[in-house]
Amino acid sequence: MADLALLTWTFLWLSLLCVGGGLGVIPEMERQSVSVHHWLTAREFVDGYTLSQLTPGPNMLIAVFVGYRAHGLLGSLLAGLAMFLPTSILAMVVSHHWQRWRTRPWAGLAERALIPVGIGLMAGGVYTLARTAIHDGVTAALAVGTALAVATDRVPPMIAVLAAGAIGWLLSR
Amino acid sequence: MRRVSLPRLIAVFTWTGLSSLGGGRSAYFHDALVRRRGFLRHDEFVQDFTLSQVLPGPNFSNLAVALGYRLAGAAGGVWGLVAIVLPGALILLGLGALYTRGAFSPTVTLLMRGLSAAVVGLVLVTTLRIILGSRRGGRAIVVAALTFAAVGPLRLPTVGVVLVMAVLSFWLQWSRPAPPPSPRPPLEPVGPGTN
Repeated sequence: MADLALLTWTFLWLSLLCVGGGLGVIPEMERQSVSVHHWLTAREFVDGYTLSQLTPGPNMLIAVFVGYRAHGLLGSLLAGLAMFLPTSILAMVVSHHWQRWRTRPWAGLAERALIPVGIGLMAGGVYTLARTAIHDGVTAALAVGTALAVATDRVPPMIAVLAAGAIGWLLSR
Repeated sequence: MRRVSLPRLIAVFTWTGLSSLGGGRSAYFHDALVRRRGFLRHDEFVQDFTLSQVLPGPNFSNLAVALGYRLAGAAGGVWGLVAIVLPGALILLGLGALYTRGAFSPTVTLLMRGLSAAVVGLVLVTTLRIILGSRRGGRAIVVAALTFAAVGPLRLPTVGVVLVMAVLSFWLQWSRPAPPPSPRPPLEPVGPGTN
């Protein structure tokens, strides 16, 4: 019970840390879920992020995965609500006033000041995922190969990811 | 005032959510609502998009709420959120249940290793594109690099890092003249990392 409340609270404040992209919150989410509260292992966390990438919708659905791993259905429901509900209410309230607010000087200043922080957090998210997912020459080559294929814009990202998964499986048999 | 009826909004948002796999998820909304159906103008979309980026919270759900609110008021915001979150949540729950039960055989486990390595490649490209597409400048680069080092290799708690870096970044941006208004960066390199 206490841990359920802790799970809900953790995802609630994590949702507020998603500035400039969900990827940015990954380092802290991993720290809390794996190192601090032991809801799942680092490997399971990376697998959960991968599954949430392969699932349609926001990739912050990883909250649902962690919640399920920690406390079953109730955990997934509470973690999902904590991740999406409060920030959505905020988005609704600000949407209502945004027409008037967005022309003020401070709105532009906030945007200029927060975007670099968001970008740094996103890059930190890539690093956190790579630390667990890249552990030998094969996984490193798969990551680089996928990056190159996606960068050409000729291969749909999902196709590149699935193909790399298949190649990795064939190589490791 | 509703520009779009609720059932239509739910149908379009659900479909857009379900088809938004892989990169450029926010761009799917632009394509579905602005280009193909003309529900709103491009500049209105850019406003909602900027809002969803600046506000805390998952960008993709913030964008759905802002667009839903614009198209059909408060009910549109609520249903827009449900329509893009619920289907994916149910699918992921099913996958999570299989994963937890150990239904993932050794074969699938090996497949997951390759898939998660590939996802790192994918989010790397998305992040690089966002870096290249954003307005640069020495001060912004310093802030981004320090933030990265703190939460990545150094593994410092993000809350403290964000508080310190946000204050530093506000001060750095405030202490220089505002740049002339320039056209917004293009929308499309908005990938899986920005959801």
